[in-house]
Amino acid sequence: MFSLYKKELQSYFLSPIAYFVIAFFMATFSLTFIQEIGNVSSSTYTFSFSSIFYVNIFYFIFLLPLLTMRTFSEERKNGTETMLLSSPLNVTQIVMAKFLATATILLIMLAASLFYPIITSIYGRVIWSSLICTYIGFFLFGLVCIALGIFISSLTEMPLLAILLSELAMLMLILMDNLSVNSFLSGIPVLSDVLSWFSNQTKFYVFSQGLMQFSDLLGYVTEIAVFLIWTIISIEKRRWSRR
Amino acid sequence: MVEIQNLTKYYGNKAALKGISFTIKENEVLGFLGPNGAGKSTTLNIMAGVIPATGGSVKIQGYDIAQQPVKAKRCIGFLPEIPPVYPDMKVREYLNFAAGLKGIPAAKRKGEVERVMERLKITDVQKRLIRNLSKGYKQRVGFAMAILGDPPVLILDEPTVGLDPTQLMEVRNLILDLRRNHAIILSSHILGEISAVCDRIVIINHGEIKADDTIERLEEADDSGLVVKLKVQGSSREVPKVARSVDGVVRVDNIQFVQTGVYTYDVELENDGVRNALLSALLQHGLEVLEISTEKRNLEQVFVKLVNQKTKHSSLEDLLQEMDDEAAQEPAAQPAEDKSAADAPAEDAAGTDGKKED
Repeated sequence: MFSLYKKELQSYFLSPIAYFVIAFFMATFSLTFIQEIGNVSSSTYTFSFSSIFYVNIFYFIFLLPLLTMRTFSEERKNGTETMLLSSPLNVTQIVMAKFLATATILLIMLAASLFYPIITSIYGRVIWSSLICTYIGFFLFGLVCIALGIFISSLTEMPLLAILLSELAMLMLILMDNLSVNSFLSGIPVLSDVLSWFSNQTKFYVFSQGLMQFSDLLGYVTEIAVFLIWTIISIEKRRWSRR
Repeated sequence: MVEIQNLTKYYGNKAALKGISFTIKENEVLGFLGPNGAGKSTTLNIMAGVIPATGGSVKIQGYDIAQQPVKAKRCIGFLPEIPPVYPDMKVREYLNFAAGLKGIPAAKRKGEVERVMERLKITDVQKRLIRNLSKGYKQRVGFAMAILGDPPVLILDEPTVGLDPTQLMEVRNLILDLRRNHAIILSSHILGEISAVCDRIVIINHGEIKADDTIERLEEADDSGLVVKLKVQGSSREVPKVARSVDGVVRVDNIQFVQTGVYTYDVELENDGVRNALLSALLQHGLEVLEISTEKRNLEQVFVKLVNQKTKHSSLEDLLQEMDDEAAQEPAAQPAEDKSAADAPAEDAAGTDGKKED
């Protein structure tokens, strides 16, 4: 499983995709950072990193599908899926290796973004505990998106379709609670409650406030697990129907 | 080594495999023949554990591929129809990865990769991107991947597609070399290929096994009727009559016009010795034999016949027998005169012969 993980990670850097995604993330992060700094004109406004992350969550929707699009759709296109399936690895291990490799890229992205808090701490004061909490929330949300992206990639042979579908699905994930508070749905309390449970935005908001709730943590982990299990099921299902 | 029992595969209601069973022994190359869409790749994919079967079992060295997939897959080297190579990787990189995937310990990987590259003669392209390699090289890289770790069972799905004649010979020799300590199943629809390397063949069509026999026995059965092709100057009515009058001539058919007064005939003889008797009989009747050549029943014809069979047969002999019967009835319909003679050859012909000599 480790060799598959290694190969996956390597293949991200064999194509320009990983570089592009990391660079793009850094660009948006820098822009929002500059913007936030610019807002600190009055002494009453305290600058916080959570709002930067808050904005960047939306950029994520366009970035992460680029990473996940090829995980399975490309294997299928190249015919290399047969090699993985005939190897002594089982489907769970294959999915996990790919998931962990993409998660590693996410970690690299986050590590690169640490540059700004470090700079800030030189010239000001950073509340590290709150920042770490935000990072954890951000990372977990990223993992949810990756798991979802991998799942969608396992459904189609076309990377482009995988990108579009993943973007749509991730947007839904984030905007779930906006849906739940609209006037139509809030009239049905049960439905709006259920929708808000699944809302990723609220969960992230809590994290970004420096709070770590067990329910939110569990919520994220469950979402990741569900998407990964769906991926495994989808691949197993296709094994049955392929020729 | 490999035991396949009553394997079935359904796609929805459509049956791709209808209960096939066969075995592969050690040190054996089994040729898996069938036309496109017969279920060859499906069977091989099931054997390699890529797709699950609807029913039946595949046992690789005693491990069931469905029950103990990891142990079973460790014994397999699988080369799919399309070589499973990553275009963005270099050959060596790819083989290293494949070695890791197969669970070859890190310490042995380097030596093992070198060994297979040597074997497939791809050492000189080891630093090139697979994307830039020709089809033949990609195929060989795929083959190298399959034999990494020296698995005792090799499943090769059309291993020689896209190779040039020299590479073809090399791969053939490699397969013959590997046979010494492996069980190999090799699919193809090229018969020359199969007969060059395989000990035994299984012919499959529409998801059913049409024949399962050794090449030797196939060839034996093949030699049973010796067919000579004659080119004779003379009446196309007289020649068959004269030929049938000779003892040991089984049938005369496939009469073809060459030029005025010259026709070719396929004459089936019981054995080689009849040939001289046939020739002298023809010459006695003043018929000039312009050409004589021996024609074996083509393996490809056997194949075509077998795949077109509707019913299931246990052995090749049965099939060949049936084919003979069919052949005896069918072509006789062409020249009207032929028919009666073919149905009751001996006495009839002897009678006419007698008259002529008077």
